[in-house]
Amino acid sequence: MDLYLPIAEMSVNAPLLIALGAVVGFISGLFGIGGGFLMTPVLVFMGIPPAVAVASLSNHVAASSFSSVTAYSRRRMVDFRMGGVLAAGGVAGAAIGVELFRVLRLLGQADLVVGVSYLIFLGIIGALMLWESLGTILRRRRGEAAPPRRDRRPVLLYALPWKMRFPRSRLYISVIPPILLGLLVGVLSAIMGVGGGFVLVPAMIYLLRMPANVVVGTSLFQIVITAGLTSILQAGRNQTVDVVLAILLLIGGVVGAQLGAKASARFRAEELRALLALIVLLVGLRMGLGLFIQPDDPFVLVAAVG
Amino acid sequence: MAVDLPPPPSPAAVSATLTETDVRVTSGYRGARISVYGAVFDPAGRPSDVVVVVRGPVQPVRIARKVRVAGIWLNSRPVVFEGAPGFYRAASTRPLQDITRFGHLRRLGLGLDHLAIAAPAERRVETRYGVRDMVVSALGADYYAWRNAVVRLKQASGLYSADADGVVFVDRGLFRARVDLPAGAPTGDYTTRVILFQDGRPVSDRTLRLKVEKVGLERAVYLFAHQRPWLYGLVSTLIALGAGWAASRAFRRS
Repeated sequence: MDLYLPIAEMSVNAPLLIALGAVVGFISGLFGIGGGFLMTPVLVFMGIPPAVAVASLSNHVAASSFSSVTAYSRRRMVDFRMGGVLAAGGVAGAAIGVELFRVLRLLGQADLVVGVSYLIFLGIIGALMLWESLGTILRRRRGEAAPPRRDRRPVLLYALPWKMRFPRSRLYISVIPPILLGLLVGVLSAIMGVGGGFVLVPAMIYLLRMPANVVVGTSLFQIVITAGLTSILQAGRNQTVDVVLAILLLIGGVVGAQLGAKASARFRAEELRALLALIVLLVGLRMGLGLFIQPDDPFVLVAAVG
Repeated sequence: MAVDLPPPPSPAAVSATLTETDVRVTSGYRGARISVYGAVFDPAGRPSDVVVVVRGPVQPVRIARKVRVAGIWLNSRPVVFEGAPGFYRAASTRPLQDITRFGHLRRLGLGLDHLAIAAPAERRVETRYGVRDMVVSALGADYYAWRNAVVRLKQASGLYSADADGVVFVDRGLFRARVDLPAGAPTGDYTTRVILFQDGRPVSDRTLRLKVEKVGLERAVYLFAHQRPWLYGLVSTLIALGAGWAASRAFRRS
């Protein structure tokens, strides 16, 4: 059953997109990430213009994250105050990112920046996560205790001004690091068509030292706000949000996300992290590889000016 | 009365019609197949060739060249061709170069080699859309490489085509040509030109209009997104959040 997308101006296979949405939604719920980093490359591969894919996905990411965050919130696994601080940075970052993406498209460099961003961010984060989670798994197998955390009060968090209490995370830290983190994630969200969970989750654990049980829910909460706003900005500035495409992905996505969130309880956290790290690493390398392979045709049509 | 004199050869004429003049893009749209039917009126019965050219709405085309810098393939600055048709198909009864000479093909824009892609005559670098140093046209030594790349890439996506057997005489003086519009063909006003060639010269032609437009929901969504973009963004985001919420409610009960 084919369906014509009014904004992308092309015809797509509807059941295929729904199934794709469900698979990515399941992964999203399982790992507590938006899943955009998987979906964007697949959509672009299917021939959907990258600008439309990135913008429509922020819409989809907002929906699937919203569906998961309610599940986490019921189990009191969301630090709304921390999420709000992160989102404040995220909103500013999204606005910057949408403008940046607009200029890059006009310069014909959007593909390059998307490719490089995937390679750098997914490559580094995937490798770090894999290293850390494999280490944890190996230690548990050998029956060793986790090494004690060094430097329990990092200068970065405690010496800066504007400290704030985050009771649910049991933290009393400066708001500057979370705001900067949110800003970075907001820019990435607009450029890569991702929620940014793959950056947020590790950063919250290792940089902000938040307790692991609230990290995923809080990251999802922040993503709902940032992705929702990015979607509005992309529609308003670039007219690239295809609501039909977003709804198709949603139908499968929200269901998949619920199933994924339920399934996540059955796995150990470090095993999930190792698996996610592998996926992240592979996607990053695949996207980055395109930069090094000689193109079939030396010329490429650049997206029309929207 | 000059009954015995042979009649002067009356000029040949061509007449044609489209099977569809309004292509409606609905949610199930997968492209359209249109036929051009026509007839050649020539009492003298001279050998005739027919060329059918379909042109889509003119659009600027931005094209970049991949250049290798330090092992990484980057896009050069895009070159803008101001007026390339969004769709082009030249169908004929024989290969075009056998029908007529170069000058006619060039003047009438027949065939992918002669398709007019408007580009300014000189290299201009100017500020456009708020971006500085856009190369609007680089009519230089490799101009043809760029122009041919536009044609090649459009051909690959099914938007440009030429078919030397595309016009078929189905009966004496009656011909037919098929035009396949892919789903990716732009919406807008198309023109179909039917030209009759005899003895290498164009002797008669007809221009037919064709409109491809979005209708119903597709049109409503498209217009909403372009005319009230902010409201559209807000509504689509609320739909997304609503769907997320509905799904989580549904799963809580089960």
